[in-house]
Amino acid sequence: MLRRSLLGAATLAWTLPRVSRAAAPDSLVFSWPSNAGPLDPHGYGPNQMYAQAMLYEPLVRYGASGTIEPCLATRWALDESGRAWTFTLRPGVRFSDGTAFDAAAAKANIDILLRHRERHGWLELMSRIEAAEAPDPATLRLRLDQPYDPALFDLSLVRPLRFASPAVLLPGGSVSAPIGTGPWRLAESRRGERDVFLRREDYWGEKPALRQVVVKVVGDANTRALALEAGEIDLVYGADQLDADTFRRFAADARFTTAISPPMATRMLAINSGRAATDDLAVRRAIQQGIDRDALARHVLQGTEPAATSLFAPGMSKAAPGLMTLPFDPMAAVTVLEQAGWQLPPGGRVRQKQGAVLALDLCFSGGDALQKALAEAIQSDLGRIGIAARLLGADAATLQARQRSGDFGLVFTETWGPPYDPHAFLGAMRAPSHADWQAQRGLPMKAAIDRRITALLAATNATAREADEQWVLTTLHEQAVYFPISFLTNKQVHRKGLGEVPFGGTFDEIPFHHIRRG
Amino acid sequence: MRRWLPRLALLLLALLLGLAALAPWIAPFDPAETNLAQRLMPPSTMHWLGTDHLGRDLLSRLLWGARASLGAVGAILLLVLAIGTVLGCLAGLLGGVVDTVLMRLADAFMTVPTLVLALFFVGALGTGMVNVIVAIALSHWAFYARLVRGLTLSLRARDHVAAARVAGASRLDIARRHVVPAVAGQVAVLASLDLGHWILHVAGLSFLGLGVAAPGAEWGVMISDARPFFRTAPMLVLLPGAAILLTVMAFNLLGDALRDRLDPALAEHGH
Amino acid sequence: MLAFALRRVLTLLPLLLLVSVVFFAMLRLGRGDPALDYLRLSQIPPTEAALALVRQQLGLDRSLPAQYLSWLADAVRLDFGTSWATQRPVLEDILQALPATLQLAGAAMALVLLLGLPLGLLAALYRDRWPDHLTRALAFLGVSLPNFWLGFLLVLLFSVQLGWLPAMGREGPASLILPAIATATVSLCVTLRLMRASVLGVLGERHLVFARARGLPERGVIARHVLPNALIPPLTTLGLHLGELLGGAMVVEMVFAWPGLGRYALLAIGNRDFPALQGFVLAMTAVFVLCNLLVDLAYAWLDPRIRLGAKAA
Repeated sequence: MLRRSLLGAATLAWTLPRVSRAAAPDSLVFSWPSNAGPLDPHGYGPNQMYAQAMLYEPLVRYGASGTIEPCLATRWALDESGRAWTFTLRPGVRFSDGTAFDAAAAKANIDILLRHRERHGWLELMSRIEAAEAPDPATLRLRLDQPYDPALFDLSLVRPLRFASPAVLLPGGSVSAPIGTGPWRLAESRRGERDVFLRREDYWGEKPALRQVVVKVVGDANTRALALEAGEIDLVYGADQLDADTFRRFAADARFTTAISPPMATRMLAINSGRAATDDLAVRRAIQQGIDRDALARHVLQGTEPAATSLFAPGMSKAAPGLMTLPFDPMAAVTVLEQAGWQLPPGGRVRQKQGAVLALDLCFSGGDALQKALAEAIQSDLGRIGIAARLLGADAATLQARQRSGDFGLVFTETWGPPYDPHAFLGAMRAPSHADWQAQRGLPMKAAIDRRITALLAATNATAREADEQWVLTTLHEQAVYFPISFLTNKQVHRKGLGEVPFGGTFDEIPFHHIRRG
Repeated sequence: MRRWLPRLALLLLALLLGLAALAPWIAPFDPAETNLAQRLMPPSTMHWLGTDHLGRDLLSRLLWGARASLGAVGAILLLVLAIGTVLGCLAGLLGGVVDTVLMRLADAFMTVPTLVLALFFVGALGTGMVNVIVAIALSHWAFYARLVRGLTLSLRARDHVAAARVAGASRLDIARRHVVPAVAGQVAVLASLDLGHWILHVAGLSFLGLGVAAPGAEWGVMISDARPFFRTAPMLVLLPGAAILLTVMAFNLLGDALRDRLDPALAEHGH
Repeated sequence: MLAFALRRVLTLLPLLLLVSVVFFAMLRLGRGDPALDYLRLSQIPPTEAALALVRQQLGLDRSLPAQYLSWLADAVRLDFGTSWATQRPVLEDILQALPATLQLAGAAMALVLLLGLPLGLLAALYRDRWPDHLTRALAFLGVSLPNFWLGFLLVLLFSVQLGWLPAMGREGPASLILPAIATATVSLCVTLRLMRASVLGVLGERHLVFARARGLPERGVIARHVLPNALIPPLTTLGLHLGELLGGAMVVEMVFAWPGLGRYALLAIGNRDFPALQGFVLAMTAVFVLCNLLVDLAYAWLDPRIRLGAKAA
């Protein structure tokens, strides 16, 4: 009897439908760790940038080649004072509710943003804009209180300077419905499960080849890999969507296509110059040579991200081409430490200097498997040169509090990639709530760094700007407050049949409108 | 139940405890020492069970993992016994308002599923092994307090305890001389049945990333860390899981055997 | 019957009140500064002025008892506040995630009943023959299995290797099978062992010997005399198992990307999102208490002695 029931179970399992594969030919199934959120173009928090970028468009776009291209504005000009930008708006653009996009609609959005200016204080342009004017329906003018050179880069960002239909703008600063000018509209959102985006047939530009993008909510990388393998999602795309080993496994699998983008940003450690023992320049220098960066890139990152050679990825900063990272050389690191008076006590493994122990806190995000693995490897490396690194795997809340208050020795951080690097990233170094400010706090020339950054952001003269940038980057390099680990890349994996998936120019946008099923 | 099974369990537990206690001395490598050039290696004469994704020795990590798991369970046991016995005795011996308040409090703690309560406490206290231990202890003490109180009440009514009271023995004396020894057996049965359950709780919470801090080795964390490497190095997932399974099995066997020995009334149940 | 139900509910109320006090105290006496957490999750720079404003808005400047009372006043109107992370009402978030968790725990409970009880009976009827040995060995293994590990192995076998069942997500009944098995296994095996012991206990009783002696067919004896009595011990532990299944679901959900309350809770823990955490634990308590209440009422309905006994007490 038992035998019969066992056999029965086996045949039942056989007849169960195999997991449904590849949906409609013009549909794509993607995954993301959370739902898209309320999709307010001016909101942060639960709003996901990839989805905001699908629905909402900027005045100007950051192109894949690193140049500024037209989007909702076809032409733009800066007046001689450097304080007024005039944009000629694209004719014939409509929001997905049918409302026309004109200067009044753009001004309505910017007025709302200015009313809640404090929310957007991290972005320099939002502090510079005094007012938006709409002299005629096809012209939008932005008045600044002082010149701000990277204004167009800030305007190209996914948030907050994009535009929702004036019909849905709420006075409190959010939207009653997600209505934008972009090539997609939100068709369905089932929380914890999926969001569905449909192509807009009335889109002003070239229409996407795909009709539908389904984004399933998949919390972690392991589940995502299994889903991709089982054919439940079509595409994995992003900087951290899969772990490196899994990426390599897919790369070796003939059924899948994988690709890695050129370097875009920098994964690094910020070293706290305001706290013992890293307030000692010798210790920071020793760290630069005591960690085997190439081994981290080769073995932990599995070559999915190249070892970093400078603070900003190649092409991100025109200044400071000669500021290369130091090669791994534990002997040199030991020499630096010993010359500075950090000696190994007899039989001990941790260096000391006048009773002070060479110990520091290495903080990382506890939920991030890659940071955890890097931290564990770095701890071992530092241990070998006599530096005791205490690993502190904190939840997001604790980690942020530590960064804010400078309560760390080493902490993982990243530059933001295009179009933020280098100007917006440098700008944020002046905010005390940033890990960067805290890390630099102990430098004798911190005030000068902040002053020079302020100057370079307002400079209207390219030579002066580059001189300031050169000085800031050289100082940061010499003071060794960052340990660049690797250059962040976008990665993608999909089945061979999917066709072509180009890389976007930034981390924030996924070029769904350029994907075409083969 | 076959007679040799409990003995096997005892032997296994003794072995596990021994390995856990001696881990610092018998583990061939430092469990946190990474060697990236030697990552994901198969078993060899140098690394008997191979290495993990950072080139750490798997055997050493398993041994230290035993230390973490058994240590955590031991701490939970002590905490639960301390809270449960003290509050249970207090309620039983003092009676009145104290009894009512304590037992209502115990009821309150028992109206929430234990793992849910533990999750909540970790959320309130923060992550980390110590907090996980406290959270699990806080979500289980009520069962022990109730049991101890019940036993205390039934003892109080017995002749020799009543006689001791008439003779002027203090409540503390009574608790020490009469209550604790009588209660010990029953509590031991309950605790031995719970130990395996706690191992699973600790491993589960660690698996969720709420427990032991990096680079510490703990079986649940090891499984969670090793999930991406299952294809290339299945042992990284299989061995810690098997270690949990084996330990829990040993505790369960011991619990069953203890129950048969000390609590014949229950002996017919459960197997 | 109605009076019994009312009495049970009325005794529950003070208990729930006490539970809420415990939860509230744990959160407020725990770690960190809620005002700072609130600002961080709202992505507002935490200046002293902003902190003071938030303290006032959240009522954190008042005494703890006053905070508790106002929280309680909101809670009885089913207003559990707004999640700091999702900026949505906690109740809405929870009602969205709860069905998935209940579905998982419910399916697991169904497995426990539909497999655990019959297999236990089978083992008892074939005592000391191979079906007994096999089920007992499996049950013995099963009670010690870490559910998340089992879930992972199941995915590898049935989703990745064989491609029979979805590896993750919640789409269609097929996606429920693996998570339900992973959640149910421990409780299923405990129930199986209990059922076997219980059947064996009843089989040894004297009235069965008489029933058989009267010439009743074996099948009739089991259906009419053995089962009704043997089912009672395993059924009385169902409430306990429900707690285990709800707790187990929290971990298993993470393995299968099951969109239930487990993930919500984990996010709330990581974000230190106090309203969400409080809502989560209250929701789980409510479900657990409600189910146990239903089980109690069902017993009382089935067995008048409980009703009357309760009245006498």
